[in-house]
Amino acid sequence: MSTTEQAVAPSRKQFDSDRLLTLACVGLPLLGLVLFFLYPMLIVFLRSVTVDDGYGLGNYTQVLGSVGFWRATWHSLVMGGATTLLSVFLGFIIAHGLYRCAFPGKWIIRAVIVLPLLAPSLVQALGLIFLLGRNGVISRALGVEIEIYGFWGLLIANTLYALPQAVMIIGAALVLLDARIYEAADVMGASPARQFRDLTLPAARFGILNAAFVCFTITITDFGNAAVIGGDYSVLATEIYSQVVGQRNFNMGAVVGIMLLLPTVISYAIERQAMKRQRSGQATGQVPFRPHFAPLRDTLMASLALLICAGIVAVIGIVVYASFVTLWPYNMALSTKHYDITLAGGYSSLRMTIVISVMAATGGTLAVFLLGLGLRRLPGTVAQPIQLLAAMPAAVPGMVLGLAYILTFNSTATPLYLLYGTATLIAIINFYHYHTQSFLTLMTGFRQLPQALEEAAGSLGAGLRRTATDIVAPFIAPMLVSVFFFLFMRSMVTLSAVVFLTTPDLSVAAVTIMRLDDAGLTSQAAAFSTCVMAVVCAALLGMKATLALIGRRNRTKGTA
Amino acid sequence: MTTFTKITTASMIALGLGAAASADELTLYTALEEEEIAAYIEAAQKAMPDTEINVLRLSTGKLGARILAEAGNPQADVIWGWAVSAMMDPQILEMLEPYEAKGVDVLPAKFRADDGKWFAPIGYMGAFCVNTARLEEKGLPMPKSWKDLENPAFKDEILMPDPNSSGTGYLHVNAVLQSMGEEAGWAQLEAIDPNMAQYTSSGSKPCKSARVGEYTVGVSVALTAMQSISEGYPLAMVFPEGGVGYELEASGLMASSDNKDAAKAFLDWTMSDEAIGLYQQYKSLITIPGVDASEAAEKAGLPADISTVLADIDFVEAAQNQTAVKATWKEKLGR
Repeated sequence: MSTTEQAVAPSRKQFDSDRLLTLACVGLPLLGLVLFFLYPMLIVFLRSVTVDDGYGLGNYTQVLGSVGFWRATWHSLVMGGATTLLSVFLGFIIAHGLYRCAFPGKWIIRAVIVLPLLAPSLVQALGLIFLLGRNGVISRALGVEIEIYGFWGLLIANTLYALPQAVMIIGAALVLLDARIYEAADVMGASPARQFRDLTLPAARFGILNAAFVCFTITITDFGNAAVIGGDYSVLATEIYSQVVGQRNFNMGAVVGIMLLLPTVISYAIERQAMKRQRSGQATGQVPFRPHFAPLRDTLMASLALLICAGIVAVIGIVVYASFVTLWPYNMALSTKHYDITLAGGYSSLRMTIVISVMAATGGTLAVFLLGLGLRRLPGTVAQPIQLLAAMPAAVPGMVLGLAYILTFNSTATPLYLLYGTATLIAIINFYHYHTQSFLTLMTGFRQLPQALEEAAGSLGAGLRRTATDIVAPFIAPMLVSVFFFLFMRSMVTLSAVVFLTTPDLSVAAVTIMRLDDAGLTSQAAAFSTCVMAVVCAALLGMKATLALIGRRNRTKGTA
Repeated sequence: MTTFTKITTASMIALGLGAAASADELTLYTALEEEEIAAYIEAAQKAMPDTEINVLRLSTGKLGARILAEAGNPQADVIWGWAVSAMMDPQILEMLEPYEAKGVDVLPAKFRADDGKWFAPIGYMGAFCVNTARLEEKGLPMPKSWKDLENPAFKDEILMPDPNSSGTGYLHVNAVLQSMGEEAGWAQLEAIDPNMAQYTSSGSKPCKSARVGEYTVGVSVALTAMQSISEGYPLAMVFPEGGVGYELEASGLMASSDNKDAAKAFLDWTMSDEAIGLYQQYKSLITIPGVDASEAAEKAGLPADISTVLADIDFVEAAQNQTAVKATWKEKLGR
């Protein structure tokens, strides 16, 4: 047992109930991961080794022997690397601007940067084509035809999607830095550049590496962007689509799905190795950092961040605008006719989607919080494999996860069959699809939590439950909120995993959008997307206002 | 409350709702278009008032993945209006049960299975979507055949779906091969390849990209073309000389259905006069002898006698050659 465990054990009874609680904290989320991630993936693995006459590696040799696979692999790795570099670089600039610099209007950046998360994938794709396509606004204005389809278009689209997640994770590392170290550095005459190099960067290293891991993983598994703007730049996710959807060849699709786990495991191992020497936790009695205005640094940071935000707004804004246009790009008269949606179930799926998203966000935030809390109290040898498992789900393309869920839960062999066709299963798949990002954001936050604080609480007689609710939760609250919002937003719009789980009476907004677009009604699909975005924004503002109210009440209570 | 209590409670509620709703239910899986589904179901529901008809609509490829994934415990009673080339996949045929729907005997033999596992009174066809505004702007001649697309002036102006990921892609490739013959067909596809800007994964995307002026020609489906024309896009629908590919929309009974009476009643309905009347409103391709296609289709540029533009397709051969043709395509033209 760790030293923490001994320190928080003033009496035998306390010790035992704490151990039990730790077990429950890790056990419940772990059980979820095993049932809803590991078990379905095991079924996929079995499919990948299924050949005509039983089991064998025939599918693997066939995939490994094809030229297309190696080309797609190379493309995926190059694209993953390029997107990771760009997203982490830009994400660091924005997170640094938000938490380490002083300039007005940060709320705009905070609001805009999450837009790509709450926009249905169709919006981003349409937006880029309307702006930068061969007949796009910018191409026409400049009088040249930009060739957006292919590497560069895909890089932009992937970066737009990865960037908010990079900001979220790097932000979790930067938001909790202690002001006193910087004061000390000031007193000792360290220049701002030196402070950045020797204080900020090392402290953010955990967040940067986690963000890089997430960006890389989600990029190599993404299918939507590759299909729309990737042109002929084939990647592994499009290989899976062509095997499963085009040729109804599950076993080969499963092989590529399993192969996609490899780069993820390797990059996770590299990341862990790089983290080894990093000290964890901060000193106690933190003073929150309040940045002072430094003209050169802050104007530069603010303009860079605003420039990126302008790009995001343009991409999404043009689709919102186009949803009000009679016939983009040939009849630009404004009209609301696309909002009269009767096909594909009309607006009826919206409410169910909100219920599902709240379920996924609430259950999910709680689960990763308990897992993070419990993992701190486990010895490294036990914690490491669990951490790897918790970081893996992002490596599975949504389509593979969705099909795995059908194969697993549409079998009367286990009582889990009861979940098949329910909203609950959709909430569950949404959470596990985005488990990695949620988990790593919280772990980055936990990393900043002073160990001494928990130890002190323990020696004062607080059990794990008390420590969790009174010490850890308030400290980690900003991360809990961003994880909750992240899960909520993604659940509202994610398509790839969910498309295979909807039933005749249970549809979600993203599927309605896909059906409208399938039916050729792209403008109606854009209009429906605009409505979804409006609902998500309203829900988010509502939740923020509630949180602010609660926060204020707690503060007044505290001072009274 | 832990996640698990929550999950259990919620699933109990969902389960309770599910149990309350099962009177006499029929679940249809279909790839027909939204608009027509709404009309057919409204009429079928009236004809079968005691049965609650549920429909799951997915595109052809995704529906196939769904049906196969559910193969262990199939959820559908009927597969309704799904591409016959997908239906003829042995994995799917295995899940079907022969059923001779009332009135199916009017269909010519090539539009129904010998063993009665599927029949197809309707279908859809391929087409070139040509953006006339872009055509004019670029000073390009209107393409009338596959051969015309060889013109180097069309470099990077043509989109076509990849047969390895799209049923529509295979529809076109198969039509070229069957109407021109293997050798000449492959030579034709290879001659167009340098002009091809992209091979897309979706069958309707080439038309959607062409209609907003991203590209000039989208090798795609007639339905999307007709719809885009009626919405007002500057688009022309062209059927290549020598015959365009088409696909049958087949229906069949799932062997696993636990409500076969209702399933059979529905399949009978799809061959009823009422259903045929509706096909005439919505379908461009009706295989029932003596039944003309819709007026709307004619307005959008479809000839009155549709057989003049269709390629002569052998669906059994198309299904049998599928794997080999896709592999050859990947080898010769895959990017």
